[in-house]
Amino acid sequence: MKVINLENITKSFADNHVLKGINLAVDKSEVVVVMGPSGSGKSTLLRCITSLEAPNDGIVTVGDYKVEAGGENERERKATIRKLRQNTGFVFQQFNLFPHKTAVENVMEGPVVIKKMSREKARRLAENLLEKVGLADKCHHYPAQLSGGQQQRVAIARALSMEPMVMLYDEPTSALDPELVREVLLVMKDLAKEGMTMVVVTHEMGFARDVADRVIFMDRGVIVEQGTTDAVFNHPKEERTKQFLQDVKNA
Amino acid sequence: MTFSLITESLPALLNATLMTILLAVISVVIALIIGFFTALARISKNKLLKGIASVYISIFRGTPLLVQIFVIYYGLPQINIEISPIPSGIIALSLNAGAYLSESFRAAILSVDKGQLEAAESLGMTYGQALRRIILPQSIRIAIPTMSNTYITLIKDTSLVSVITVTELLQMSSLIIAKTFEPLTIYLVAAAIYWVVITGFTLLLDWLEKRSSRHIMQ
Ligand SMILES: Nc1ncnc2c1ncn2[C@@H]1O[C@H](COP(=O)(O)OP(=O)(O)OP(=O)(O)O)[C@@H](O)[C@H]1O
Ligand SMILES: [Mg+2]
Repeated sequence: MKVINLENITKSFADNHVLKGINLAVDKSEVVVVMGPSGSGKSTLLRCITSLEAPNDGIVTVGDYKVEAGGENERERKATIRKLRQNTGFVFQQFNLFPHKTAVENVMEGPVVIKKMSREKARRLAENLLEKVGLADKCHHYPAQLSGGQQQRVAIARALSMEPMVMLYDEPTSALDPELVREVLLVMKDLAKEGMTMVVVTHEMGFARDVADRVIFMDRGVIVEQGTTDAVFNHPKEERTKQFLQDVKNA
Repeated sequence: MTFSLITESLPALLNATLMTILLAVISVVIALIIGFFTALARISKNKLLKGIASVYISIFRGTPLLVQIFVIYYGLPQINIEISPIPSGIIALSLNAGAYLSESFRAAILSVDKGQLEAAESLGMTYGQALRRIILPQSIRIAIPTMSNTYITLIKDTSLVSVITVTELLQMSSLIIAKTFEPLTIYLVAAAIYWVVITGFTLLLDWLEKRSSRHIMQ
């Protein structure tokens, strides 16, 4: 069963053609890792899925929610986008936690404001999620009092608070000091094992080997090559993929 | 002689100081509300709202407060709008300070990292929810310290409404001088009272600022 379906997604910034007709279907419980050089359009692709960037053309479907570029009236369209976002967890490179709220308040915010859940119920939910990401003892800390790795785990808990069908991660560990990367990847691996559908933009080869069902290599706005981790990493067919893997290894 | 002059005039001067503080407090509250909504109008997508807000700011920042007071108190009666001195003063002071405060609010709103809006909208919030729950609480914390100059200017500007016969601190000083012919002493006492009020207020603001930002700053 498809959870995400992208049909012919096109996005330009002025005359910079960033996505040139991307087609991509992601099955339930599938973990897709997206790699590619800087500027190839990976972030833009994720951001087009939840309309953080509006595609110029194409159709995005997540679960039952379908958003078509330029389609239907503006009001309906916005409502559909909100529904789609409520079902899609988004994890940012820079965490983007709410600095004026504690960890537990960050996680409660979505359920309380959007789902109108009672504060007590939301608090219990948030405490459970923070425990799940290993931060039971940090509930009442403000983001500024947490390490980068801890902040990113709170951000994952916040995304999970809406009980999404799918989680999108845009380079979730690239803003972290090397020793903090592991704790975040472990949380993501656990989620993958539980059957969460995930699309992860990352250059963590180890993570891809361990949990990815499929690796996608993007370059200059197109999907150049995709397949199992073994196929893409060990037997790449395209010259650009080989070159990129070489660059990552040498980095 | 001088000492007894001071003790004799002090009750009246302190009484008038209450009027000064009252004018300042009422005007600042109204100005904050005006400034807040004007800032929202300026960042809104509605061209009409945006235009009205810009014109208002431009007029009240681009003309002297004294002229604004005269237009409201002496000018408006000519088109049959008569407002008594105290409300006239409050209207002029609030509209004037509101124009400045709206710029501080706007700058504070724009200075919130755009990742905050994206995170809120990614959860599925509407723009309005994101504004109310995430952006504005942070903007207000950012804006408070940048606004202290406007508050202090407002306290000082209350002295201008003495020209339309409001008996605040400066007007009372002049009335006493008219009877005693002791301008130096009386004006110095008035200056000292202004200094105490403004310094006290500055300390209060510093304390509030530390309190409200203690969690956010690294
Ligand atoms: N909001 C924007 N306005 C204008 N150009 C943009 C915008 N966002 C992205 N771009 C451009 O789109 C192209 C792709 O950017 P994108 O961030 O999607 O790449 P990426 O693959 O995520 O790169 P990186 O690995 O550096 O994160 C770049 O040329 C970038 O400059
Ligand atoms: Mg990127």
